Amino acid sequence: MIKLFSLKQQKKDGEASPRPGNQKKASAAQLRITKDINELNLPKTCTTEFPDPDDLLSFKLVICPDEGFYKTGRFVFSFKVGPNYPHEPPKVKCETQVYHPNIDQQGNVCLNILREDWKPVLTINSIVYGLQYLFLEPNPEDPLNKEAAEVLTTNRRLFEQNVQKAMRGGYVGSTYFDRCLK
Amino acid sequence: MSSPAPKSPEQSEKSKKYDRQLRLWGDHGQKVLENAKICLINATALGTEILKSLALPGIGSFTIVDGEKITDEDIGTNFFIESDSIGASRAQVTTQNLLELNPDVRGDYIDETVDHVLAHSQDFFDTFSVVIATSLPEKVLMPLSRHLWEKNVPLIVCRSVGFLGYIRCQIKEHTIIEAHPDNENADLRLDNPWPALQEHLEKFDIPKLDNKERSHVPAVIILYYYLNQFKAEHGHLPKTRAEKEEIKRKIIESPHPDEHGIKHLEENFKEAIRYINTCVNPVKIPSNVQAILNDDSCINLHQTSSSFWVLCAALKEFVESENSLPLKGSLPDMAADTNSYVALQQLYQKQAQNQSEIIYRRALEIARTLGLSQESITETEAKLFCKYASQLNVIRGSCIADEYQKTGLDFTSYLEDPDSLLFHYITLRGLERFISEFNSYPGQLDDHVEPDLLKLKSIIGKLLAEWGCSQIIRDERVHEVCRYGGAELHSISAILGGCAAQEAIKLITSQYKPLNNTFIYDGITSTSASFTL
Amino acid sequence: MTEAQEPSQKRWAHLRKILERPGPFCHPEFEPSPEIMDFIVTSCKILVVGAGGLGCELLKDLALMGFKQIHVIDMDTIDLSNLNRQFLFRQKDIGQSKAKVAAEFINRRIPGCQVTPHFCKIQDYDEGFYRSFHIIVCGLDSIVARRWINGMIMSLLCYEDGVLDNSTIIPLVDGGTEGFKGNARVIVPGNSACVECTLDLYPPQVTYPLCTIANTPRLPEHCIEYVKVVMWPKENPFNAALDGDDTQHVGWIYEKSLERAAQFNITGVTYRLVQGVVKNIIPAVASTNAVIAGVCATEVFKIATSCCLPLNNYMVFNDVDGIYTYTYTAERKDNCVVCSQVPQTLLIPDATKMKLKDLIQTLCEDETYQMKNPGLTTTVGGKNKTLYISTIKSIEERTRDNLNKSLVELGLKDGSEIMVADATTPMTLVFCLKFQSSDVEMN
Repeated sequence: MIKLFSLKQQKKDGEASPRPGNQKKASAAQLRITKDINELNLPKTCTTEFPDPDDLLSFKLVICPDEGFYKTGRFVFSFKVGPNYPHEPPKVKCETQVYHPNIDQQGNVCLNILREDWKPVLTINSIVYGLQYLFLEPNPEDPLNKEAAEVLTTNRRLFEQNVQKAMRGGYVGSTYFDRCLK
Repeated sequence: MSSPAPKSPEQSEKSKKYDRQLRLWGDHGQKVLENAKICLINATALGTEILKSLALPGIGSFTIVDGEKITDEDIGTNFFIESDSIGASRAQVTTQNLLELNPDVRGDYIDETVDHVLAHSQDFFDTFSVVIATSLPEKVLMPLSRHLWEKNVPLIVCRSVGFLGYIRCQIKEHTIIEAHPDNENADLRLDNPWPALQEHLEKFDIPKLDNKERSHVPAVIILYYYLNQFKAEHGHLPKTRAEKEEIKRKIIESPHPDEHGIKHLEENFKEAIRYINTCVNPVKIPSNVQAILNDDSCINLHQTSSSFWVLCAALKEFVESENSLPLKGSLPDMAADTNSYVALQQLYQKQAQNQSEIIYRRALEIARTLGLSQESITETEAKLFCKYASQLNVIRGSCIADEYQKTGLDFTSYLEDPDSLLFHYITLRGLERFISEFNSYPGQLDDHVEPDLLKLKSIIGKLLAEWGCSQIIRDERVHEVCRYGGAELHSISAILGGCAAQEAIKLITSQYKPLNNTFIYDGITSTSASFTL
Repeated sequence: MTEAQEPSQKRWAHLRKILERPGPFCHPEFEPSPEIMDFIVTSCKILVVGAGGLGCELLKDLALMGFKQIHVIDMDTIDLSNLNRQFLFRQKDIGQSKAKVAAEFINRRIPGCQVTPHFCKIQDYDEGFYRSFHIIVCGLDSIVARRWINGMIMSLLCYEDGVLDNSTIIPLVDGGTEGFKGNARVIVPGNSACVECTLDLYPPQVTYPLCTIANTPRLPEHCIEYVKVVMWPKENPFNAALDGDDTQHVGWIYEKSLERAAQFNITGVTYRLVQGVVKNIIPAVASTNAVIAGVCATEVFKIATSCCLPLNNYMVFNDVDGIYTYTYTAERKDNCVVCSQVPQTLLIPDATKMKLKDLIQTLCEDETYQMKNPGLTTTVGGKNKTLYISTIKSIEERTRDNLNKSLVELGLKDGSEIMVADATTPMTLVFCLKFQSSDVEMN
């Protein structure tokens, strides 16, 4: 065990001059997100967009599914990484209106690792794969859009038609969807 | 704006001020606290630290008994003494400064030593909810402890010396309904459902449910179905691990395969598996509760019996006729749709309410036959009592005077561990004996450390011999206590003050389990231990 | 000042016994002497972070353990709900700075004590401020703030040829409480587990699945969360972000939650519960704060005086059932992004000539690093700057030009730090640039 203070050299100057070239230090969240971003291994259906390349804490993910109900669509998600990352998950919203059982009209996404099952060992990559999976396998058992979930379980054909209708732009029931084809 | 005129309840200033603690012991706990009367003997730094953590949460009143005049050392350790009050009454100054903490609290003081008060008006102490003493010499502790034991007034004795701390709770009998354990098992009664529950549970035929229905059915219903199936095949509920595994396998096998032939087990079915281990065992009466129901205080009620024991007597009759405790009535959250869950929850709540009403009515009858006032038992208390029936606690402590006069204390089992903190108990007992014999702390003066060390060693040797203990206390432990010379370190007193105050709150509110009965804190290693002596 | 000096000699008689007498359980290198008390009283500088439940207790405890040079930093103001435990505040102080009121109280009660308040965010000060303390002690309820302080003291460490310069170590003592539970720990930067190593110990905030709160609420909490997470942003009733301290806001949430609960036949929505969920209220009592602050202050005293070995390194406390403590050594994480980071020095022969691509080439070709696709960022003028990340198309395109710029052109200076992430290392590495020639000053 080290003895920390030898009383002979204990005086601390209040105004210790900063080291040359000293700047604001990168935070733990910043160090971690740099790693996450550099190691992003995107599936070929996904791309990222960084509006400001100097700000790794806020970016968009674009998913263009190449199979399943949502093939030919283009869906944009916004990611906001907070200072408590990775203790807390990033905030993710779907910016594209989508007819989907697990995504509501406000862009809330029901994906377990975005809320109750988030763990610090997970990465941005885990979320990307989770989101991509939602388009391949929409899950009617955990619905956010109850009507869409209902249709998916009772009439897959109709569901498929509704998805197409929504992606082309138009009404499904009383809800209007903007066009989001690739 | 679409929202109607605000109908939020007006919160009182008090409930805002105490919000953070009301979330722990509730409005009912706070009410008891606000009626409590505390007596502090000796307003040392430790003493005032204890009172501080009682005045802040809002006890009713306190009284300080202290005949000392303020010294320089008091100023260096006691936060509730200003630097210009040397020579003034310690009781008076600390009372004023403690009262300033919280306008809801009343307080007064007696500028006399405790010996004096005890000699002139012994019954002075009888009306307090708890008496707390610090730096109490053995010769006063003995009669005070005996007296309060007889009067059934809880006594907390504390000492802070150097890096060491000691708390001793003397409680004759203490009963707890709300122990607030950190984890508790759900009370589901699947082994023996009451008719209404059984009827509800049997409506569900799990294999016939479609995927959507499957995802909505609560775990309790799933588990019941497979338990029943097992019972039909084997004639009994699963007991062994292998039998439970069998049920688990059935649940895992239950999903309808998807188009690829894969079975996905839903969250609620996973929950059902988790409940197998904790909630399938037949509901038995826990042994601690059975002991309470067989207790003499439960069997032989009298006019001074507390509501707790009257309720126990009613519970005993209930248990004898039903062969189970009243239902807890709370259903843990489980994946399900709202209606299925709420319907089930209401069944549990209804049954619990019925049972607690039975027990409440019976308790009232018992109280009437005993000649007790009907107000002594409230419906609220009866409800809590039934809800927490499986966690009821009765603590019967021991009298400090008995502990001090006992010969043949057997510490052997503790002392086999050379790092056992019980060694500190022994040195502290030696320290107290030293103070009684020499009227000063060992090592109080710089040039007394060495000679006092020898004296203290011989005192401890004598104590050990009295107890018939063959152990030897290492010299360095004795040396360490002598080195302290009675020094009180504020930060150590702060730690003990917080602990002792919380024990007092537990005794007052009858919530949470208090220390039974001795706590030792070692600030050198930042470790602690509790012993029942 | 004679009045303050006169009793000071005698009033510390208790502490002097501990510091001027040898003892069998002292630190092996402890040399009892009156100088130690002088150090405590005259020059030992302590920073208390947070002037809340723990902070108030810490200030009192430290002041009565002889410390005089105490600073306290807190950005909060006093609220009525603080008064059940934050004992330096009174009704009349509501709305005032916690740091200021606390400092004034201590300085008034304990003559000679010089508590200096800082009514601001911890982030408002730079390393010059934090480096001026001997010991930092934290009483915070925020994990973000804890991680920030932890990161700050770790960044103050200096290494000479990979060997830690012990004089740059500022020990951190950290306490936390929740209801009747608490913990205290000692972090010796570079030597013991840091906040980041043990991030898993902090319980995550309680959250509920979004689909549950939206479609199958069962608990009153589900109804409240729905109103907070879904309805508030949608209806935006006051055209403002939700403020848990605004009674109108909480009132709105309360009413909507009641309505929603009624709709689903759910009982148990109370105003107190709504407040608890909206503000994420953690229950708190005076006693637990007293205990944990007492443990922390004792550790500060031990470290400052070396009178005994400090806590190694984590203690948990719980007095729900009797009084229980458990002391153990939390383990360092060898890939901790913060504390296993020994900043490496990169020698830059000529920063005006060396281009970013040369630097990247060095990292890829160097025997020790052999990186594959390093991503590089730095901070310039307090702002993050991405130098180059090849793996992300949108960033690559917009940072490609940097490759042909010299380090000086990129705003890097002698002593600048760059963060390098690469698949070959488990965490982002920090490199400190050392410019070798002296004629690189920018105009």
